[in-house]
Amino acid sequence: MLEKILPEKFFKIISEKVNLRAINEIRLRADKPVVLNISGQSFFLCETGATSNLKNALYASKIIIEDVIFRASECSIYSVNEQIKKGFIVTDEGVRIGIGGNLIIENGQVKTMSGFSSCNIRIPHTIKNCSSVALPFILKDNIPENTLIISPPGCGKTTFLRDFVYQLSERNLALNVLLLDERGELDCNINSNFTDKICFSSKKMGFENGIRSLSPELIVTDELGQEEDIEAIRYACTCGVKIMASTHSESIEAFSQKPLFTNIIKEKLFKRFVVLSKRNGPGTFEGVYDENFARVYISR
Amino acid sequence: MKYLLILLIFALCTYVGFLFSAKYTKRKKFFSALIAFADKLSLEINYSRERLKVLIENFDSKQRKSLLGVDEAFLQYLEKKEELSSETIFKKAGVLKSEEKDAVLLFFKTLGRSDVENQTKEINSFVSRFSEIKTTCDQEQKKYGSLSLKLGIIAGLFCAVIMF
Repeated sequence: MLEKILPEKFFKIISEKVNLRAINEIRLRADKPVVLNISGQSFFLCETGATSNLKNALYASKIIIEDVIFRASECSIYSVNEQIKKGFIVTDEGVRIGIGGNLIIENGQVKTMSGFSSCNIRIPHTIKNCSSVALPFILKDNIPENTLIISPPGCGKTTFLRDFVYQLSERNLALNVLLLDERGELDCNINSNFTDKICFSSKKMGFENGIRSLSPELIVTDELGQEEDIEAIRYACTCGVKIMASTHSESIEAFSQKPLFTNIIKEKLFKRFVVLSKRNGPGTFEGVYDENFARVYISR
Repeated sequence: MKYLLILLIFALCTYVGFLFSAKYTKRKKFFSALIAFADKLSLEINYSRERLKVLIENFDSKQRKSLLGVDEAFLQYLEKKEELSSETIFKKAGVLKSEEKDAVLLFFKTLGRSDVENQTKEINSFVSRFSEIKTTCDQEQKKYGSLSLKLGIIAGLFCAVIMF
């Protein structure tokens, strides 16, 4: 995948001199050094691989960034304009590329983005069994409780959700799962026989249409962040559908203080909270909490 | 033996005339196919928004033959196997004039680089430009194409008469 989108020189160095499996992000900024996020730490890309020394760093240019985005869209920017308007592109392999540039706004609506000046290539990793530890605390009579995965960005929420869906299928828990994949990155590499998916839809629309048309027993979705997402969750719960979702937050304490979640915390819509961190690298499993924020399981 | 040689020289002169004539026909056909290709792109980009590679591969195979390998070279570029330059894209399209090559290269360089609205505008603008070129090609083909063939035949006859 990276071979298709990165300049040949960068790809050659990354593939030959850096451990590709350990790379979480590649950040390119116009006229700035190329930054690799390796196991949660930032390094500059250089001729010999990764370095902390800025002197040896390789630089990206605006032309390189434009070409990366052009290649990531399979040389067809027009076909991914709806994604670009939201600030990212997701490739068929589930690689999400965040884009910085100038938004073109017409009549109060984002029309497109031009003058691309930076991009952040997030490389998804499948970590088999990463959700196994949490699974016994999430499942009740083989049915998942409404669960929210909490962590700061880049701590493995999406990887956890992907593995969770895989684990359900592996354990022959024949639950009809609906993947509501707003950004197209949740779906990649999921090998499950009981999963339907709705991609690139808002949560509100996806929940309504999905529940009506696909009758899921569990909806898995990424990154709750708006009032309308909470409404969609509430709607699903009233329909008797279980929810597995994720959200950004520094910690369980910070999460409990967020005004957006005050009401659903009071209503106890979520029965389990799984906390992840970067303490020992992305995906460090911190613990599971119940609806009263009491520790059900704590990782040492 | 003498008659055979006369016949051979006549055929050769006619063939040379035909080659010159074919050059004008190829150019005309090239721009006809390119306009059809651009129209198809404009339509599909607005309707199916399918990727460029798929749109090119699905383009009418008969018309593609008239594109003199330019489409194939562009596909190679999309697959990151070649650069997009005059040298790589016009390997089999030597019949085009330098300024025509510039216009065609610019057209391919703009493909896939903007949103639907701007891409459509750009394609339509190129279609107008290519239509003008095609009109010129039509005129040149009528004027010089048939002239080349006739000159070839006349030259062949002239040689035949001299040798006879």
